[in-house]
Amino acid sequence: MNYKALLTLVVGAGMAVAAAAQPTPAPDQKESILILGGTAHLGTGDALENAAIGLRDGKIDYVGFARTVDRARYDRVIEANGRHIYPGFIAPNSTLGLQEIGAVRATRDDAEVGTFKPHVRSIIAFNTDSEVTPTVRSNGVLMGQITPRGGVISGSSAFVHFDGWNWEDAALKTVDGIHLNWPVTHHRHWQDGKIDIRKRKTYDQERHEIQRFFSEAKAYAEAGEPSSTAVRDLRQEAMRGLFDGTLRLYVHANDVRQITEAVHFKREMGIAHLVIVGGTDAPAVADLLRDNNVPVMVKRVHSLPRFAEDDVDAPFRLAKELEDEGVLFCLQNAGGMEHMGVRNLPFYAGTAHAYGLTYEQAVQSITLNAAKIIGVDAFCGSLETGKDATLFISEGDALDMRTNYVTEAFIQGRAIDLDNRQRQLYRKFQAKYGAPILD
Amino acid sequence: MLPLMAAAAVGHSAVAQETFPVNGVVNKQLVRTALEHATVHVSATEVLEDATVVFYQGRIEAVGPSSVIQVNGPVIRHDLNGLHVYPSFVDIHSDYAMPEAQREGWGRGPQDLSDKKGAYGWNEAVRPETRAADVFDPTEAESDRNAYQKGGFGAVVSHVQDGIVRGTGALVALSEDSRRALLKPEASAHYSFRKGSSSQDYPRSLMGSTALLKQTFFDANWYADASRLNERLETNLSLEAFNASRSMPSFFDAGGWEDGLRAAKVGADVDHNFILVAGNNAYQRLEELQATGASLVLSLDYPKAYDVSNPYTSRLVGLDELKHWELAPANAARVHAAGIEFALTADGLESPSGIRSAVWTSMRHGLPEAVALAALTEIPAKLIGASDRVGRIAKGLEANVLITDGPIFHPDAQLLENWVQGEQHTYVNRDEVDLRGSYNLAVADRILSLEVSGELSKLKAKVVIDSTDYKVDFAPDGRSVSLGMKLDTLGLDGWWRLSGNVWMDSRIWEGRGQRADGTWVEWSAIRQSEPETEASEYEAQPDSVQGDVMYPFVAYGNAERPAQRTVWFEGATVWTCEESGKLEQADVVIHNGKILAVGAALDEASVFGSSIPAYERVDARGKHLTPGIIDEHTHIAATRGINEGTQASSAEVTIQSSVNSEDVNIYRQLAGGVTTAQILHGSANPIGGQSAIIKFRWGASPQELLFEDASPFIKFALGENVKQSNWGNDYRSRFPQTRMGVEQVYYDHFYRAREYDQAWKDYRQNMRNASRKARRNNTLPAAPRRDLELETLAQILNEERFVTCHSYRQDEINMLMHVADSMGFTINTFTHILEGYKVADKMAEHGAGGSSFSDWWAYKFEVKDAIPYNGAVLHGQGIVTAFNSDDAEMARRLNQEAAKAVKYGGVSEEEALKFVTLNPAKLLRIDHRVGSIAVGKDADIVLWDDHPLSVYTRAEQTYVDGTKYYDLEEDAAKREWMRGERARLVQAMKAAAKGGGRTPSERMHFHYHCDTLTDENR
Repeated sequence: MNYKALLTLVVGAGMAVAAAAQPTPAPDQKESILILGGTAHLGTGDALENAAIGLRDGKIDYVGFARTVDRARYDRVIEANGRHIYPGFIAPNSTLGLQEIGAVRATRDDAEVGTFKPHVRSIIAFNTDSEVTPTVRSNGVLMGQITPRGGVISGSSAFVHFDGWNWEDAALKTVDGIHLNWPVTHHRHWQDGKIDIRKRKTYDQERHEIQRFFSEAKAYAEAGEPSSTAVRDLRQEAMRGLFDGTLRLYVHANDVRQITEAVHFKREMGIAHLVIVGGTDAPAVADLLRDNNVPVMVKRVHSLPRFAEDDVDAPFRLAKELEDEGVLFCLQNAGGMEHMGVRNLPFYAGTAHAYGLTYEQAVQSITLNAAKIIGVDAFCGSLETGKDATLFISEGDALDMRTNYVTEAFIQGRAIDLDNRQRQLYRKFQAKYGAPILD
Repeated sequence: MLPLMAAAAVGHSAVAQETFPVNGVVNKQLVRTALEHATVHVSATEVLEDATVVFYQGRIEAVGPSSVIQVNGPVIRHDLNGLHVYPSFVDIHSDYAMPEAQREGWGRGPQDLSDKKGAYGWNEAVRPETRAADVFDPTEAESDRNAYQKGGFGAVVSHVQDGIVRGTGALVALSEDSRRALLKPEASAHYSFRKGSSSQDYPRSLMGSTALLKQTFFDANWYADASRLNERLETNLSLEAFNASRSMPSFFDAGGWEDGLRAAKVGADVDHNFILVAGNNAYQRLEELQATGASLVLSLDYPKAYDVSNPYTSRLVGLDELKHWELAPANAARVHAAGIEFALTADGLESPSGIRSAVWTSMRHGLPEAVALAALTEIPAKLIGASDRVGRIAKGLEANVLITDGPIFHPDAQLLENWVQGEQHTYVNRDEVDLRGSYNLAVADRILSLEVSGELSKLKAKVVIDSTDYKVDFAPDGRSVSLGMKLDTLGLDGWWRLSGNVWMDSRIWEGRGQRADGTWVEWSAIRQSEPETEASEYEAQPDSVQGDVMYPFVAYGNAERPAQRTVWFEGATVWTCEESGKLEQADVVIHNGKILAVGAALDEASVFGSSIPAYERVDARGKHLTPGIIDEHTHIAATRGINEGTQASSAEVTIQSSVNSEDVNIYRQLAGGVTTAQILHGSANPIGGQSAIIKFRWGASPQELLFEDASPFIKFALGENVKQSNWGNDYRSRFPQTRMGVEQVYYDHFYRAREYDQAWKDYRQNMRNASRKARRNNTLPAAPRRDLELETLAQILNEERFVTCHSYRQDEINMLMHVADSMGFTINTFTHILEGYKVADKMAEHGAGGSSFSDWWAYKFEVKDAIPYNGAVLHGQGIVTAFNSDDAEMARRLNQEAAKAVKYGGVSEEEALKFVTLNPAKLLRIDHRVGSIAVGKDADIVLWDDHPLSVYTRAEQTYVDGTKYYDLEEDAAKREWMRGERARLVQAMKAAAKGGGRTPSERMHFHYHCDTLTDENR
């Protein structure tokens, strides 16, 4: 491939023996940049051919066509003819930065002890020096919702972009919502290689406890802000935003019954924003979700069907089914190998396109839709003027692993270093063997 | 042989406990029993009308026509006119009167050896020294005995149902006195794959159980041989007992066809015949079972209907479960129709007392009555070599008979009596008079019409006057009756209470009673009509129409095995994976399972020659044709444990013994273009187990899935898993715990294997040189003990078996290559090999290949330096490089994983595709058969609708051996068919469950990875 051969010269010569280190966070955008030509996938469901995208002071200040843009207004022009421009992809419901090596407990900070822990904040443990993050952003995934795990209420998630000296730099929203793992309605009983599923004896009790926890939190919230000397309840304090609409309630649920109960719960509790995370059975209750304005963060596209006789491609088609039903959705990748595997998020969108979504809908499912669901679409998620200049350019179609190759990426206009430890090791050993760098 | 028997002629004196001192006077048991004028079913096929059976001292002394049989001496006669006498049933799979297996608590640490005291074998699950006769205690088993008797059983073979080698079973009569009951203390030997109560770690998996069982046979051979030559240095009571039981009928508790076929395979390997106790699903694989030649023991525990009221929770009931629910009752009938000999067991029924109704269910599904009867009498007797004791009604056999008032399995027929060893057990009193009928009741100068009806055990009565019924309180008690009547309208004011006796077969009742005022009155009743006996329909009527069996028996199975096709693919982009590279607008023709022609502008004559067969043309213009995808490393299609892992080496185990042909993931992966995979043992120990290379012949049996004549492989593993880094604190004792120790495990095992191999070579040499005298005198040297583990390792040294080694870090990769070099063999494949890029030069020099993940990393510390460029680097250094799945989901997208070799490291597209086709074929040493599109190779090919490396492509058709196992369009039809079949069965089940039913359960859809550790084979 031509561009790779080119890079051989550029990168291979200059960086072959670069010290193995984390890329340095990029400095603030000084000069204005115009990306000229290429196909801009706006994230809104539209695309522009032969586009022009202007970046100034960390924001997008122009979205239009190459033939009409005033080039002179920009300090620098990046020719993007034949290439593709995308808003930075967003990874919702991710543990990136919360864990480094799955099997090494010392490197895991994704699950705090306890059952109801809305006060626990993921942003605190988001490690901007993770060696995993640079490998994710070099595939175009530039932002994420960092989400804790475990318990009934896991804690709060944060919305970040993947460049910064510390978590304060990275944070775009330190707390965007509370994550609730809806209890399973059936318990699993091991018997002769089978799991018997029966209604859990404790289900009603657990549901009652959730109800009670929320009722108390609501009463606490309605009593208003306590004075500086009054007694404070940290957990209930953390729940306050659910009732005034500033926080979202993310309910992790896959089964019909769990989803249905969660939607009823939203109504009972007067929760403004509910999001279903997972939603394997969501198409079966699409009306309920649509009528109650409940979006879905669709479970990993590349997963196996639940039941043997389910359609072989059911998980591949789930996004399309929700699209057809008019339910707002985005893609996410929770599950095994999730923190390192999130670099494959673009390809989940690719599969969703192969199985029904239009191409631009597929792009939307990992950009603007995710931003809307998380509540950050005011400043990111699409190539629109006034939004953060968080975007990237790929040599080819970024949703296909065959052609995804990110050449430039910007986070709030900062040109980020796309190198990573894996590339460094690659160069190091190709150099040892005297072999060409084809990256 | 219709004998005229005199008491004096009886040869045996079966007075119980002959040797015991007597307290009091002796019971001489001189009185005979004669069952006369009965319909006697002397066997399943032979019936004597108006016949007599004579019992003397617990055995049958004579049987024959009543007109011929004469009995001298004291006798009690039973007139059984109108009744049937059957031989009582024999159950050969029972744990009646056996002690409960004791399990130790969970959570104890590792246990390497048996903790049983005494000179027994090393493994607690091998317990041939267990003798059912020794522990048989009928005194505490009264309720079980009653249940068996009530079902119609007279004798059972009982054994301790625990462990892999379970010891001997005893044939016992269902009598309370153990000395009388034990008919044959050592009747049978029993086996299973289930580990049972053993607290030992080994074996943890089905494949471990299989290897242990085989090894036990070989150990026993060696032990016998060494004993014969007086060369034995140790005594092993377990092996002695094992050898003693070798000649007994052997029963393998398989529970279904799956373990049944596995057991038959073990039997073939060790030259031993097993009778397969095969559950209720044999109908799913009749051909294969028939081919084993084994007799079966079938159970009748048919699945109950699930509660399918809720459409969502009923999703938990699989199509296979729905179909099994429908088809299982036809199991015995289908086994019979296939010509397989079988016995029936009550095992699995809620109670053995339900056996007759369970058999009736089978008869309604086509099982002939005589076959059912034989399967409960003659056949089990024959299978245990006890036809001279039980199973028929013939002279000399135990006096075990049943008396019924109709054909024995019919629901309207009653089991009146079960005689065990001449002892009568009564359920319905033969002498009981049937009071049902209409009577003229004469009381106080009136004649009232009285009617008695209902079931015999629950009679009711009424007085009918002018078509009006007046209820009567009716209480029969043997031969007396009482009637309570309140007939004010007839002037009989208040309650009249009558009591009387029944005379003359209930033709007359008479007695006295009290009027309401307390004065007495005489009464009588004279029967006007006999009870109405319904004409019973004794023919079993077939049940509802049944659906087809699916192959395999799971969703997406086929009712018929798909056939090989001759197909002409026209105008495709053909990725040959050969030197010819990518051909545009080319044709490929497949025929007889092979690729017949590849190229542009082919014509019929040059392709087929003179005789052109019927073939189909597939328009492949704009589409892509590739070789079938080959997965070097998977864990699907295996059952009950992917890791033996309990010892540092488990070279003796093989995945081939636990292949699961019914795994829906085979079909799902066909939909992703996969046609061949290697199912590997996990990575829990340095020397894992032997692998199984399978072709995705969806619907074939486990044995037929195996890639025929493939070179054998074994899995090795290095690093964190084998040193138990993530197993918790209990696991800190097994050697090795460091990478240093791992090396020593290899050296130790390979030196031992070399020594073992030499010992066999020496032995064979000695045998060749042995003198005729030694041969004549039978003093030939003893063979070395056959050791499956060392034998396997010696195959590696002799390059007859190849290693694929789970590996991550460069230091250990380097180490293993040194071990191999110094022992004189080559590591065929490093799998995972995520730091291969660091030692690619050394690997190339050694000659190893690499099968890697495209982009996995950061899940363990040892994969911190894993890079997605690994494949490209290895490939660049001339190493045969593949990408594998190790994951049931990713396996169906391996073409996309190959594309990542283009993305990360710039491998060309054609070379990248080889990462999942030709290269894994080379690594598996099957590239002469598969892996590329070349004339003469197997027709394992995939038709894609788009570029095969693109995320957007879909497999439209997948062929294995020229047989189409996946087709995108047929898949849609299959889904429709499943929906319809499901709907039909749910309707039937809903009707059957009648508002109740079992709660649906979700099967464990468990996807094995390398480090999956389970203990699921108990």
